[in-house]
Amino acid sequence: MIRNLNAIAVRINHQFLRDRRFMALSMAVPLLLMLLLKYVLSSLPQLARLGVHISDYAILAAAFLVHFLAYVLSTIVLVRDRKDGTLARMFVYGFRRREIVLGYVGGYSTIAAVQTAVVLILTKYLFDVNLLPDIVPVALTMLALAVVSVGLGVFISNFARNEGQVFPFIPLLIVPSALLSGVVIPIRNLPALLQWCSYVVPLRYAVSVLAAVLQEHQPFFSQLAPFLTLLAVGAALLAGASMTLKEQE
Amino acid sequence: MTAPAIKISGLYKAYGDISALAGASLLVGAGEIFGLVGPNGAGKTTLIKAICGVLKPDRGAVTILGLDAGSERYAVRRRLGYMPQEPALYEDLSPRENLAFFGSGYRTAGLEKRIRDSLEFVGLWQRRDDPLHTFSGGMRQRASLACALLRDPQLLILDEPTAGVDPTLKQAFWEHFRELKQRGITIFLTTNMMDEALHCDRVAVIRSGRVLVTEAPDAIRSRGRARITIELAGGGLREADVSGYEEELPRLLLSYGLSDKVRRVSIHRPSLEDVVLSMIQKPDGGWWITQMRNKTRNPKPETRNRGAKAQ
Repeated sequence: MIRNLNAIAVRINHQFLRDRRFMALSMAVPLLLMLLLKYVLSSLPQLARLGVHISDYAILAAAFLVHFLAYVLSTIVLVRDRKDGTLARMFVYGFRRREIVLGYVGGYSTIAAVQTAVVLILTKYLFDVNLLPDIVPVALTMLALAVVSVGLGVFISNFARNEGQVFPFIPLLIVPSALLSGVVIPIRNLPALLQWCSYVVPLRYAVSVLAAVLQEHQPFFSQLAPFLTLLAVGAALLAGASMTLKEQE
Repeated sequence: MTAPAIKISGLYKAYGDISALAGASLLVGAGEIFGLVGPNGAGKTTLIKAICGVLKPDRGAVTILGLDAGSERYAVRRRLGYMPQEPALYEDLSPRENLAFFGSGYRTAGLEKRIRDSLEFVGLWQRRDDPLHTFSGGMRQRASLACALLRDPQLLILDEPTAGVDPTLKQAFWEHFRELKQRGITIFLTTNMMDEALHCDRVAVIRSGRVLVTEAPDAIRSRGRARITIELAGGGLREADVSGYEEELPRLLLSYGLSDKVRRVSIHRPSLEDVVLSMIQKPDGGWWITQMRNKTRNPKPETRNRGAKAQ
């Protein structure tokens, strides 16, 4: 299983390396979006008067960006393989469902990890966030979020027959993620029903860890519960993706 | 026939209200080149998917090399080479990388050598490291065939392997197929081109998810109705559409007296395409399918007169 999983991940990374335009865009998009965020937030001096620190907000926005990019990147993958016939060929050539799902998550997590690194570097230098003392828990949380987001994307791509069907799923998950994760509105300010709904949003757990570690300066081990829940959500998504990936029409 | 390589019995598959397979049955002998011909949407690709175990039929059974294609699909797939209709390879990878990737699914012994042998077989070894997106359509098809040959399969499944391929390459493909047959590999292919079907040992005609007939191409062709035109000395013409014209012609000539009244006899034999078209275009599967069902052995020729002085 590990051998086949690795073969898929390596193949995906070979494909990324060959596609220079894709690689350039993958790096340029987080850079441009972070620059835009910096420009927008810097042009709102009234935020400081309201007690909102841009640096506090930046890390949450960065987490959202990592989630969004990793999710969008991976929603299309299985759809493309299904459409091109390579998915059927993989099955006929001996790859199993769980190997395909985990292989894709492995392959796409590499690029998601690189994007995460870009976002973290920009967060530090553009927003002057002092990440270094907490870099290990922050990077670990961001990386876990990226991998879980790839898992979510792979899971969702199971339900689309073509690229066109993928697009409605993007806002369907991203808008609730933004609204219910605590990035835009603190969860405690949401109506009770939406607070309950927020438990199924993976971004919520990452935001919870990052806010506690960076803003409230709590130790990482006190945030193990949300961190492990994030991993559990990821595991559930991967199990779901393996079970729903159709080997036989 | 030796033990069948493929045995399909009463296969049904529907996608919603659309019936893709409606009781298809087939028997393919080991070591033969077997062609499945039929129009687009007849169920050819669906049948291939069932053989490869990537389609779960609603009803019916598929046995491949003595194994159940559903419950024993992993064992079946180890023995298969599969070439889908579209190249189904990664465009930004080279043929060698594609073959190395697909070859890793099942542990293929001596994979590097197998990759080389397969690419040499299809004449792509010189281009082994070029990305596939720099290849022509025909070269991609060859790369796809190389991928199908990778595991030294017992049974090769080819879904319209020469679609969009130029005549020279098509000829080369058929030389490959005959060479593979010599090695004892059973080849099952689909096509909607009748000139291709002529190369097969046996051909099955499929329409609307049902196999109408399975015969050698010549046997199918000989069942078509030949048009015999008899030109009479006075200028009249007699035309007759007959099956089994070799037997019917003497009888017809006798009826006209076999004298100097007959000036010229011409016979137009239908092509395989004519015969297959007559089967797939008619709602009942064509006149001779009905004929076979009715077990009528010697149909009367339909004759008609043309010309002013016809007798």
